[in-house]
Amino acid sequence: MSYYFAIIGTQDNPLFEYEFGTAKQGGDGVARFPEQARHMNQFIVHSSLDIVEEVQWGSGQMYLKCIDRFYNNYVSCFMTGGNVKFLLLHAPSQPAASTTARASTSIAANPTSPQTEEAIKQFFTETYENWVKTIMSPFYQVNQEVRSPVFRSRVAAAGKKYL
Amino acid sequence: MAANKAARMGEEVWKTRVDKVNAELVTLTYGTIVAQLCKDYENDYVEVNKQLDKMGYNIGLRLIEDYLAKSNTMRRCSNFRETAEMIAKVGFKIFLNITPTVTSWTSDSKQFSLIFEENPLADFVELPDDGRSQDELWYSNIFCGVLRGALEMVQMQVEAHFISDVLRGNDTTEMRITLIRYIDDEMPQDDD
Amino acid sequence: MASQPSKPPPSSQASSARNSQQGLRYPSTGKTIYHRPLNRSRTQELSQAGFAYLFSEMVGYAQRRVTGIQDLEKRLNVQGHPIGLKLLDLLLYREPARTQLRPLNIIALLQFITTVLWRHLFSRPADALEKSSNPDTPDEYMISDNEPLVNQYISVPKEMNQLNCAAFVAGIVEGACDGAGFPARVTAHSVGKGEEGELWPGKTVFLVKFQPEVVEREAYLGKT
Repeated sequence: MSYYFAIIGTQDNPLFEYEFGTAKQGGDGVARFPEQARHMNQFIVHSSLDIVEEVQWGSGQMYLKCIDRFYNNYVSCFMTGGNVKFLLLHAPSQPAASTTARASTSIAANPTSPQTEEAIKQFFTETYENWVKTIMSPFYQVNQEVRSPVFRSRVAAAGKKYL
Repeated sequence: MAANKAARMGEEVWKTRVDKVNAELVTLTYGTIVAQLCKDYENDYVEVNKQLDKMGYNIGLRLIEDYLAKSNTMRRCSNFRETAEMIAKVGFKIFLNITPTVTSWTSDSKQFSLIFEENPLADFVELPDDGRSQDELWYSNIFCGVLRGALEMVQMQVEAHFISDVLRGNDTTEMRITLIRYIDDEMPQDDD
Repeated sequence: MASQPSKPPPSSQASSARNSQQGLRYPSTGKTIYHRPLNRSRTQELSQAGFAYLFSEMVGYAQRRVTGIQDLEKRLNVQGHPIGLKLLDLLLYREPARTQLRPLNIIALLQFITTVLWRHLFSRPADALEKSSNPDTPDEYMISDNEPLVNQYISVPKEMNQLNCAAFVAGIVEGACDGAGFPARVTAHSVGKGEEGELWPGKTVFLVKFQPEVVEREAYLGKT
């Protein structure tokens, strides 16, 4: 499974982006988006913002689960208290020839299973903690891009841990 | 030892005679002060340091009475070493609930360092990554002004400045304080 | 004979050239804001005096940069605003899972502000929350605080007696409202002056006026 994670601010502006792949079950943690898909990721994520706007007023939960789908791309959403959106696009990779029957229940192959949903929730929750740490600094201004390499490595670690 | 006595006094005053508030209210308020200064002075951090020192000086002039009243000290410190212990164990304790360490005395006992293991004003803070702030801004510079103002009111002219800060990537947060002279009957110099 | 500031000891000073591509330096312990647990200072306390000194310097500094009480209150509001934004997520983060919910309507938002937020900052909830009974202003709500902590050590000079420094708190409330998706204007009003022997001379009412789109959305959501 390949993942594209974006944090979108209240002006629909991207504050942070990160691509990665499944690290579990022998995955190498590298995203495998076909070249043209890479451009599409931003577009897909951006267009799912309309749906986020509708969904966010129906549920007080921060984790909004999978809110949109575009062909083989699924978009899950987590909404912070400050209306900043964490969006995770997950796209199962093409199954390799050596895929065994066991792999078919893995997170990497099942974008909408309950296990996947839970794993994504944990990824979002851990990222949220790091997000709150970021915004608590008096020098962080609303809708500012996040450039900290430490934040990036925290997001990467969460991705590796849960996905 | 003066240090232990001072520590006990500081602890006792903190427990019984100090009205308390949530620490984060103070942290966030100080944060917004510094951030606003950076904005007003367009990130001229040298100027921001000056303003923080000035604010601290104003606070120090008033805070000393509060300190003397709360610590109920009947007599003046007999030497600068005792002053240092009182500052660290009582002064910082009753206002910020921290006890920085007094160290690195010069042989003439006129200069020492305060090492801050904890600094509630700097909680949650990360300096801007603009290539300058970590070389130019002393985030907690208000402390230097507070000490300068407070001690001036008890007839000591001191100079205080930070020499390291964990926010700058240093390993410690350390302030250096120097006794310049005891003020006798002369008026304290005007602060500009 | 002022002493020259000494250079930091070489061992703790990075030697490479500084430019923004280098990024921030961190202590050799590697400790950054990301290492510090968010809940460590949750229940920590400092002296009220410490807050009061800082706050009055903040007011004094703002006063020197503006002309007029309205501008001063506006500046204090602006300084409080980012704090409201930060607290919104910090306090939500700290809520137990079953109450970790984003407010979906005005009442839920204001209840969060008058209980969770007020308790965190001032160790007690706000004293009252009311909706305007005036049919012309259905967008207005009032939060009352009988004795705002921020005003306790402030002495306002006679010529400025309309000034309410709780404009700072109004800014915090406004920041929380704006951040949560309920844009509003919040102002602080002294209501406790003038009467003989009144119980709460310092009573302040925070008037929360929501933008029209918030009221429209409430109405729309209320129907579905």
